Amino acid sequence: MPSDAVEVEEAGFLQKFMWFWNKAGVFVVLVAVWVILAVLSRGMALGGANVINVIRQVSIIGVIAVGMTGVILLGLIDLSVGSIVAFTGIIIAAIQVWWMKGQNEYLTLLICIVVAIAAGAAVGFFNGFVSTKGRIHPFIVTLGSLTIFRGATMFVGGGRPITGMSQAFRYIGAGELFKDYLPWGLFIPVPMVVFLVIVAIAAFVLRKTAFGRSIYAIGGNQEAAYLSGIMVDRVKIATFTILGGLCGVSSLILTSRLNSGEVVAGQGYELDVIASVIIGGTSMNGGEGGVIGTLAGALLIGVIQNGLNLLMVQPYWQLVVKGAIIILAVLMDRLQRSFQTL
Amino acid sequence: MAKLLEMTAIDKSFFGVRILRKVDFDLESGEVHALLGANGAGKSTLIKILSGAYTLDAGRILVGGETVDMSRHSPESALALGVATIYQNFHLIPHLTVAENICLSDFSTGGKRWVNWGAMRKKAGKALAAIGLDIDPGKKVRDLRVSQQQMLEIAIALNANARIIIMDEPTAAISQRETENLFDLIRGIRARGVGIIYISHRLEEIRRIADRVTVLRDGMNVGTLAVDDNLSLGAVVEMIAGREVKTGRRARTTTLGDEFGRVEELRVPGYGDPVALSVRAGEILGITGLVGAGKSEFARALFGADRALSGGVYVEGRRVDVSTPSSAIAGGLGYLPEDRDASGLCMGLSLKDNISLTALAKSRSPTFSVRRDAQLSGRFRKDLAIKSVNANQQVRYLSGGNKQKVIFAKWLAAECRLLVLDEPTIGIDVGAREDIYRLIEDFVGRGRAVLLISSDFDEVLALTDRLLVMSRGRITAELDPDKTDKPEIMSYCLGVNDRSVRHAAV
Repeated sequence: MPSDAVEVEEAGFLQKFMWFWNKAGVFVVLVAVWVILAVLSRGMALGGANVINVIRQVSIIGVIAVGMTGVILLGLIDLSVGSIVAFTGIIIAAIQVWWMKGQNEYLTLLICIVVAIAAGAAVGFFNGFVSTKGRIHPFIVTLGSLTIFRGATMFVGGGRPITGMSQAFRYIGAGELFKDYLPWGLFIPVPMVVFLVIVAIAAFVLRKTAFGRSIYAIGGNQEAAYLSGIMVDRVKIATFTILGGLCGVSSLILTSRLNSGEVVAGQGYELDVIASVIIGGTSMNGGEGGVIGTLAGALLIGVIQNGLNLLMVQPYWQLVVKGAIIILAVLMDRLQRSFQTL
Repeated sequence: MAKLLEMTAIDKSFFGVRILRKVDFDLESGEVHALLGANGAGKSTLIKILSGAYTLDAGRILVGGETVDMSRHSPESALALGVATIYQNFHLIPHLTVAENICLSDFSTGGKRWVNWGAMRKKAGKALAAIGLDIDPGKKVRDLRVSQQQMLEIAIALNANARIIIMDEPTAAISQRETENLFDLIRGIRARGVGIIYISHRLEEIRRIADRVTVLRDGMNVGTLAVDDNLSLGAVVEMIAGREVKTGRRARTTTLGDEFGRVEELRVPGYGDPVALSVRAGEILGITGLVGAGKSEFARALFGADRALSGGVYVEGRRVDVSTPSSAIAGGLGYLPEDRDASGLCMGLSLKDNISLTALAKSRSPTFSVRRDAQLSGRFRKDLAIKSVNANQQVRYLSGGNKQKVIFAKWLAAECRLLVLDEPTIGIDVGAREDIYRLIEDFVGRGRAVLLISSDFDEVLALTDRLLVMSRGRITAELDPDKTDKPEIMSYCLGVNDRSVRHAAV
């Protein structure tokens, strides 16, 4: 048995580097990639309009990734996020175009916001409840709801997109804040504000609330958390429900930007969302990571995608690059862990 | 003719602790040689050296008169020498058929690529018939009964030409009748010249099946006896437990109060008899027994970690809902699990976060006060003398003793009333052990109570106010630690004596 005598060994350079990498590596990579792309694109990547564009696009994925961070911190997964986005999107489109046509725009907007979040949360609750109480791995359950709610989306929309959102609603995706106060025609896009506010709230919840700390505890060691009196099932269900609600928020932005509820909306989002979380340093095993890393992870994916677009790289190659980055990120994580145990 | 197995002067240390000291052990062909000893006496270490799982530090092993090259000894080479171990948890593949499990090494392909099902079934049938086992080779292993699986393992071992078969507690999980079948089987293979090393805690079985018995204590061979009519079980018990009668009681001024906690007829899943006990304010109540006696299962059911089939738990006169840990905690219970790494701690979280786990679970306010959290961990870190870099250090880097203190702090933070400790000092060095004892004494000193579950007789004798002995899920004795000794405890553990205590009253 190692005794108490050896408490702290002097951390070697490698350990120190790994520690730093663990904490801030993704930000370093983000800045480096941005600089490289800026040089390659002769400054285009740094243009104000382009940056705003990147952030606006990232918000849609990012909002979901914040919720997914909670689920992955629990050591779980949700594959159904893209379908939840589509399902809530078609509902709010239907509300505006069919069910509440001609009503007060702002009342409709309010109802859309409430319904989108509530419908998303309901699907999330379903995922959480079935997987915890039924003792089925969420991988299976959410694979099921991925299919179910894609089908439900087609059913609600009759297989066709529902187009023509109200002016008030379109503000969610297109709104430009502080345009009069910022130079060079720059502005703060509404989705960015939504995204950052959600990141801030999530960071607070994860760090300073009993609920947030419980997520880390369960992800760290479910048995120990349970034996300490933490209501494991309840926390899991709540986390899935929140993720569902955030899919609803994301859907508000997406539907507003597309000006349409699309049957194929959000297809493949789970890939980008999970990638953002993992690249952001949250461990697939749960218990380690956080939402600030996810912010950086989502930005990194957005920046790379945007950069490749600017450099006119073929979309096929973009997919290859994205996939490679995901594997690389996890590989770094593994390496870092193996150094930790040295 | 040379002996089937000779092990001479086997020495083995782990982390500087000597587990085996110059142990001699031998086995004749056609003999059943029982190996006895308390938990931690070195039985499994000795067996694992023989089966190639561990290396040895010093000593010599001869199989069939030939020296085994210990530098190259491995599980594979042990099998090649004909040494097979039948473990309690089977090494069978449940989803494959009996035939496949028997022919697992090559699937009877005869070096070709294709599986020959016919040949495989025939080979399997022969192996099963050889020991008179009536199982359909086409059956899946998961559909067999536990005892059949065990016999299948023996068939596999014999099919691989095993000459020495090690059986580790073979009757622990099977019924009386199945035990009879197993004994018949053992007699059959013994007649074929196979030697059997038989490990068991059940002395009456030893008497029936073994030819000789060797007792290990504290890593030493304390004697080998022939099993005949002259064998006195009392003498064997004394050999297992050690002769010294008194160990130092810890000085403690205790004033025991009224009844503090009570367990009524708690039925533990997997064990037949209900358990009842009662503990007084300020009391350390010990529960001891051998591994597998059901102590941990009882603790888990008491705390709601596993659901009890029936029964009631009362703390300070109020009934506690023990359907889940969180309701048990609300009722004033606390539980320190046996496996502290797997069930007690979130390794990746900091010391601070681990200590505040219970407070977190109890917290009714929406936000969690980080400041209170820090105060809490700061206080306990100082009070309990937890050695760490700071409160933010991940607990995985702490030593065993300090880890245990973190768990202890967690329960102090929960302000629990009745604390159930399952093997609190296992794998903890002497200094930290003393600290843990002091924590336990402080805890009851404030009018609360502790249930101390431990297989370490010295520990329960030194620390507890009253001692219950558990064997096969039942409380077989209630003893006064001042008036008892290790042989007496051991006799109740082994079921040689039984004063079944239905209700261990105050």
